[in-house]
Amino acid sequence: MRLLSRYNRVNIPATVIVLLVSGLCYYFIIRSVLLNQLDNDLKVEEQEINDYIKLNGHLPDPSDNKDQSVSFQQTDKALVNRSFRSIRLFYKDDNEWISSRQMLFPVAAEGKTYTVSISKSEEETENLIQFILLITLGIVLILLLLLFVINRFLLNNLWQPFNNTLGRLKQFNLSGNPQLNLEYTPIREFADLNDAVTIMGNRVNKDYLRLKNFTENAAHEMQTPLAIINSKLDVMIQDETLNEYQLKHLQEIYNALDRLSNLNQSLLLLTRIENNQFTEKLPIRLDDQVHEKLLLFEEMIESGKLQISLSLFPVTILSNKQLVDILLNNLLNNAIRYNVPNGSINITLAVNSLVIANTSFLPELDDQKVFQRFYRHADSRQEGNGLGLSIVKQICEMAGYSISYRYLNGVHAFEVHFSGTAH
Amino acid sequence: MKILIIEDEKTLSESITAYLKGEEYICETAADYSSALEKTESYNYDCILLDLTLPQGNGMEILRQLRKNNKTDGVLIISAKNAIDDKVAGLNLGADDYLAKPFHLSELSARIAAIIRRKQFEGNNLVRFHEISIDTFAKTVMVKNRPLELTRKEYDLLLYFISNKGRVISKNAIAEHLWGDDMPGNYDFIYTHIKNLRKKLQDASQEDYIRSVYGMGYKFTTG
Repeated sequence: MRLLSRYNRVNIPATVIVLLVSGLCYYFIIRSVLLNQLDNDLKVEEQEINDYIKLNGHLPDPSDNKDQSVSFQQTDKALVNRSFRSIRLFYKDDNEWISSRQMLFPVAAEGKTYTVSISKSEEETENLIQFILLITLGIVLILLLLLFVINRFLLNNLWQPFNNTLGRLKQFNLSGNPQLNLEYTPIREFADLNDAVTIMGNRVNKDYLRLKNFTENAAHEMQTPLAIINSKLDVMIQDETLNEYQLKHLQEIYNALDRLSNLNQSLLLLTRIENNQFTEKLPIRLDDQVHEKLLLFEEMIESGKLQISLSLFPVTILSNKQLVDILLNNLLNNAIRYNVPNGSINITLAVNSLVIANTSFLPELDDQKVFQRFYRHADSRQEGNGLGLSIVKQICEMAGYSISYRYLNGVHAFEVHFSGTAH
Repeated sequence: MKILIIEDEKTLSESITAYLKGEEYICETAADYSSALEKTESYNYDCILLDLTLPQGNGMEILRQLRKNNKTDGVLIISAKNAIDDKVAGLNLGADDYLAKPFHLSELSARIAAIIRRKQFEGNNLVRFHEISIDTFAKTVMVKNRPLELTRKEYDLLLYFISNKGRVISKNAIAEHLWGDDMPGNYDFIYTHIKNLRKKLQDASQEDYIRSVYGMGYKFTTG
């Protein structure tokens, strides 16, 4: 639920109730004021009749019209007090019922007691009340409309800084563009929010940089000991007195060392790509690069008796030579390494995309995890260091390409999409 | 041939010295910035191995000083950083080559040999081993004055062997030399290339120089 709807859900019924209640109050107050006014008028009439009797000694003529009617009725039981009531009277002249205010009071004339009833039409009063009700209703409607408009436009406008901040947060990317650059807002609440978000962003950024530096430094620091081990091994195997058993162990140390060096280099490469250290861009003929890579891997392709089918459009992209080299290297290396004997590799290079599809002894990979660092399928025989595809992904992210994985009928396909950079 | 090893890790420079002594190289070492500067200013070397990160100074500065003094010593940068910027800066300052740590000593030896070859007067581009001679410009091989047809990898392999003659080279070092870092952990391919090269050499010279060392490496030798 949006904040605005939540607000409206409370605000609008409350407004309507308050306006209706105040309308009712109006109605009753104004009505009683107007009736009071009418009653006062009636009292004036009473006074006039009393004066008339005192002066003339007899009752005045009764009158009967819509505005005011006066009638006299002789009675035995004299009224003690005057009384007021609202009634509906029928007027023959107009043939209609009219709401009226009636006052009854006693008079004595010519030795008899009479009850005088004076009626005054309430029509004007009713009209006034109707009018007031109409105005109140109109105000309710106008207010509702206004509220709607205000909520719709003004509130949306008020929330704009919040939405801006939210948009920036959504684009926040530690490895890409870690600067939030929030817009200035004079509203204090949003300014506070922006301050807090900026502080958090900076802290996250700093932690991330520290971690990245740590990875880079750790990898760097490892290079020298690795170099020492390597050199010691290289010197050691020159010893003519070593026997086969000892050399076998040395070979295993070499292999483990290779793996470690390889892993270390991959970690360094990842941080380097993240640090944007490959900025130089050159036009690269991708089809030539693919041919070159295939030549590099020819022994492995031949020994696996792999069927290579190529459909290479002569595509030139503007990119970093080393990164493109690593990208092709890792993708092709995987396609060969995880292939089956007599398997196949299809390489399709189109204007905007490169697809490398191959058979493999591996089943479908988890496309959520396939680009994660150190993700390796359980059946992958620990061949790679688990960083090859993460590096590919990182390269694509830095270069603005997209990469996707598909699996269909035993064929694994990786597609690199050069978004608009090819020509 | 005089080599100066500027490297603060003593164990590493010891290994390098031990490995290179087998060749006709005389190795000196410098473990810090000032002694490195002193040696490079006082003597001439055929090749200087230069580690960029030194106590009390940057190896890059030594390179700068060398070029300022119009010295023509060959310089091979060996660095743990392997940063592109360093590589470019080093090569622009006149270093001849760049090798990232960790490296195989056989690779180092081959790179040094290549630098010295290039630095020698008259641009000596011939590498000789008995009746084998390699023209490193034309990338052709003559055995007993007759051309020997080799594939690109066989040629690389032969040159690598001769640059490390008399020493055992591990299969790992050969794989890295031929394919770079991303060689699948399977060395059958090396075996195929070596078998082919061996056969071609034997056919041409009736000599077998390549010796296998218990399946862990190879040695190019006469004895």
